[in-house]
Amino acid sequence: MSAVRQITPALWNSFTKWQKLSNLRYFSNSVIERRNELFTEEQKRQRERVGRIEKIEVRYLGLPQDVTLVMNRDISTPYNCAQHLSEGHCKRSVLALVDGNVAWDMHRPLPDNCTLQLLNFTVADPHVVNKAFWRSCSFMLGAALQNAFKEEANLQLHSFPGPNIKSGSFVHDVVLGSKTWEPSKPELRALSAEMIKLAAKDHKFERLEINNELALEMFKDSHYKREQLPSISSQNQGCVVVYRLGTHIDISRGPMIASSRFLGKCTIAAAHKLADEGDKDAIYRVQGVALPSGFVLNHVAYGTLEERARKLNPARQPNEPFEELSHISQMA
Amino acid sequence: MNQAEVTKLMSQLRFAVRPNKRNLKNPDGPEGRLMKLRKTVTALVKHERIELFYQRADEARGYAELLISDAIRHGDRHKATMELADFWLLEKQLVHKLFKVLVPRFENSNVSFTRMYKAPRDYPGIYYDKAVLELRGNPYPSLLPDFSQNRNYIHNILLDEARKDYRREKLAEMATKLASETTETPKAAEPKAETKSD
Repeated sequence: MSAVRQITPALWNSFTKWQKLSNLRYFSNSVIERRNELFTEEQKRQRERVGRIEKIEVRYLGLPQDVTLVMNRDISTPYNCAQHLSEGHCKRSVLALVDGNVAWDMHRPLPDNCTLQLLNFTVADPHVVNKAFWRSCSFMLGAALQNAFKEEANLQLHSFPGPNIKSGSFVHDVVLGSKTWEPSKPELRALSAEMIKLAAKDHKFERLEINNELALEMFKDSHYKREQLPSISSQNQGCVVVYRLGTHIDISRGPMIASSRFLGKCTIAAAHKLADEGDKDAIYRVQGVALPSGFVLNHVAYGTLEERARKLNPARQPNEPFEELSHISQMA
Repeated sequence: MNQAEVTKLMSQLRFAVRPNKRNLKNPDGPEGRLMKLRKTVTALVKHERIELFYQRADEARGYAELLISDAIRHGDRHKATMELADFWLLEKQLVHKLFKVLVPRFENSNVSFTRMYKAPRDYPGIYYDKAVLELRGNPYPSLLPDFSQNRNYIHNILLDEARKDYRREKLAEMATKLASETTETPKAAEPKAETKSD
């Protein structure tokens, strides 16, 4: 028995060391790992802060019938409510609608008594859901770009403008350490494949509200995010909303779709150079088009959508000066 | 070579018939099985959409299709067809429905007269798969979701905007073409005017 006790700490140490190494390799750099640690710690802290569990009444409106569910304050999410209804509700629901007008993430805890509707892509007026989908696509594009580029490419995510489906493409603005990158077809296809891989992983979008200091700590290695943070937090009473998908963390106002698996067909159509940045880097606008899973479109029709997504998206560019403060709110 | 062509004797069913047998057990033996099928065909003609176990729906579908196609082929003055209708339709007023409603409805149709969908089975419940069997052109709302009518669905928004964009481009093209033509014509007219004044 004593021998086992002597051996186990050594074994345990080597195991944890190995685990850390593998984590490093998985995250590809320590910056992302640090960011994730901070996120997890803060998430844990916020969960523990709930303290004594209180009950709330959630009135669910919709099929198969209206019911009242007794849930836990600040713990239960709309997804948990869906789990009480059926497996189909869990699988299909993309976004929740709280009190009939507030779009609510599926994995965001409910703070109070409310009415709840579960939305999917085929409700009669899917305006809110479509917007959330487009925003999530931009977010996922950021994650895909981060996965696809090697460290030598010096990729830095800048921001993504507010979702505008009518523009025909979702957008993510990035800064790259090259002034003359013109993506070839195989490169774009690789980026699209990266998006599909991300979708297949079925990561859920985790939402977290953090204060400005923590946000600055989290994004201390990202020059552009640090620049944006003060204006974002001042708009939102010193609060910043960040989302995590797998290991990718970014700032966004949300709401987002429930899981990455709702992304069906996806094409990264083009990357346009917007402006030079410093003496080595340049700002690029990467854009693509996507459909939710379960939406089947004839390939000719989808081809026209791809064709349109190749044109430069007219959304506000990051190198343009801020005219009004209202533009900042559109960034996230 | 004096063999008759089979399709001229019997009309071809317009759906893929499963070659293997369906296990339709019945405590009353083959007679009970036939009675069950007759009841199903009657219910299909009466209600136009029924939900039942998959195997029975699959089997009854063939008989219903055959009955309707024979009714279209031979009309109500044909003894064999009348006997067939009398056998399959247990409620006799449905014989009138077959010849007066279903025959006109399907006369010019070139697809199958019935449709079958897989339906979810009850859980927990009886293990058998379920299906929905319906006559085409029934008055009920469609069972399949309609992705084309709601213009707010994401693909429809994208397609509509792409269409608008295309039209805008074409109009701009036409406008520039017109502008270039109108700038050219005065130049062409001027020399003529000069020649006249000369």
